Amino acid sequence: MIGARTMRNLYFVFIHILLASASLITLVPVFWIIITSLKSNKEIRESALSLPTSPRFQNYVDAWVGANFDRYFLNSVIVGIFTVSLVLTVGSLAAYAFARMNFPGNRLIFTLIFLGMTFPETARLGPLLSMMYKLKLVDTRWALVLSYAAGSLPFAILMMRSFFRGFPEELEQAARIDGCSNLQFFIRILLPLSTPALSTLGIFAFMGSWNEFLEALLLINKDSLRTLPLGLMNFQGINYTNYALSITGIIITALPVIVVYIIFQRRFIEGLTAGSLK
Amino acid sequence: MIESAVRPVARRAVAVRRRRRLSIVPYLFIFPAVSLYAVFNFGPVVATVFFSFFRWENIVPTADFVGLKHYIYILRDPLFWNALGHNVQFLVMAVIVPVWTGLFLAVLMAELPRGRSVYRSLLFLPAIFSGVVIAYVWQWIYHPFAGILNQVLKTIGLDFLAQSWLGEPRIALFSTFVAYAWASYGYSMVIFLAGLQAIDPEIYDAATMDGVNFFQKLFYVTVPSLRDVFTFVITLRILTAMGVFGVIFILTGGGPFYATDVISVYVYRHIGNFEMGWATASATINTIIIVTMATTFIRWRERKA
Repeated sequence: MIGARTMRNLYFVFIHILLASASLITLVPVFWIIITSLKSNKEIRESALSLPTSPRFQNYVDAWVGANFDRYFLNSVIVGIFTVSLVLTVGSLAAYAFARMNFPGNRLIFTLIFLGMTFPETARLGPLLSMMYKLKLVDTRWALVLSYAAGSLPFAILMMRSFFRGFPEELEQAARIDGCSNLQFFIRILLPLSTPALSTLGIFAFMGSWNEFLEALLLINKDSLRTLPLGLMNFQGINYTNYALSITGIIITALPVIVVYIIFQRRFIEGLTAGSLK
Repeated sequence: MIESAVRPVARRAVAVRRRRRLSIVPYLFIFPAVSLYAVFNFGPVVATVFFSFFRWENIVPTADFVGLKHYIYILRDPLFWNALGHNVQFLVMAVIVPVWTGLFLAVLMAELPRGRSVYRSLLFLPAIFSGVVIAYVWQWIYHPFAGILNQVLKTIGLDFLAQSWLGEPRIALFSTFVAYAWASYGYSMVIFLAGLQAIDPEIYDAATMDGVNFFQKLFYVTVPSLRDVFTFVITLRILTAMGVFGVIFILTGGGPFYATDVISVYVYRHIGNFEMGWATASATINTIIIVTMATTFIRWRERKA
């Protein structure tokens, strides 16, 4: 006879098997791309399933130095840093007002901002492109920073607003009695208490900017200003013959995001669920 | 000051509000964000709608009012309906596959006493990638001879299944959907898992005492308790499937023979040709469809609750 305990353990083993296989299937594409990035062109052409005879790290050197990926990487980092700083500053300032101040138009303006989360990517492209030409911002990093920051603001404000709303009224009153102005309360008290939410938001804004390419495609033509996704697109396509280089480019583009994910995993998933369940 | 501090909170709040009725302080706080959003996000969306009624064939729109001309052209264009049809097919698949796969995985994970977070991290990984990365990973998987998919099929003796996954019009849309789904179910799963953890365990204890089995528990307890989470997850699918761009644009560009064309790619093609009238009109229709679908869906779910 099998005891209840054994049954229960068998049940867990069964679930582990299911989940482990699901994880494996999910990750096979990633492993395969990583392994393939270490093969020579000849090996890639000969068999998709073989392992590299000896790992070719030269592919990474070729992509990094020879194919300008160092430049693209730097551009992505610069655009990312400016976007994040802008989103965090203006987003949290506004979220504070929306969360804790009464003023005519609060709800209306907030709703209009919230609506921004539902627009498809293509909804603003035409006028955005036209305006950037007029402002002479095409082929500058500013075009990307301004557009990406404006794109992340709805999520930023929504998230920070619900976070700021969680603080008790008494906190603000105590600060008021001590003679704090709105801005002082915000900078000295609220922001330091909000570092977890701010860092989550920063990660999201950074990933958004790092991953974006549709607007970059229209707004950037100069090779020296291309971000990683654009650089990657240069080395792709079914007709592109340097397989090793294009596959290595995928890893170079994805790796920083993977590293950020591994380090800030908890933040990431918490931010995601906090944003969704409120 | 002391007197006001001992007053009840509510009355004080009212007093503060009244005293500062015309204060500009809140507006100063929201000004930077609102102007940035208005100029580079909301404004351009409104401009898309506005200028879709004007002639616009170059960088800058003209003041030449053409009424519904662009809309009539779009609504008569079989390629527009073709693209919209693919969005709808994409949506139907997106509401089924990533949502229910995500729920299934989350339910399995919630059963485990420990080890959840490891699976959660692994299964969520593809969701962090850029559309470009997702598309190129799958382009290589589908590659006719250097790709792993055909090679595996040949190795296990299913040669007849090996084919041009992105080149065959009948299956190309499905192939792009697989790439989209790969990066989506982890997302639903994480959200479902958080929702599951918020369900009161007593409900399950009661159900267990009533002797219900796994599937009864799933459909009569879990799914109804996750109502709001479902609404959120499905809304997200409406937004992403009706607006899908990156994966399709890179994998097929809408081809072969428009077999995977979707509205975003259709809009983008017109922007690329500087046919801004058609681009803005079709983008407007797309935005209206998406916003209407999402808001109607949310309202409908809230009314039924």
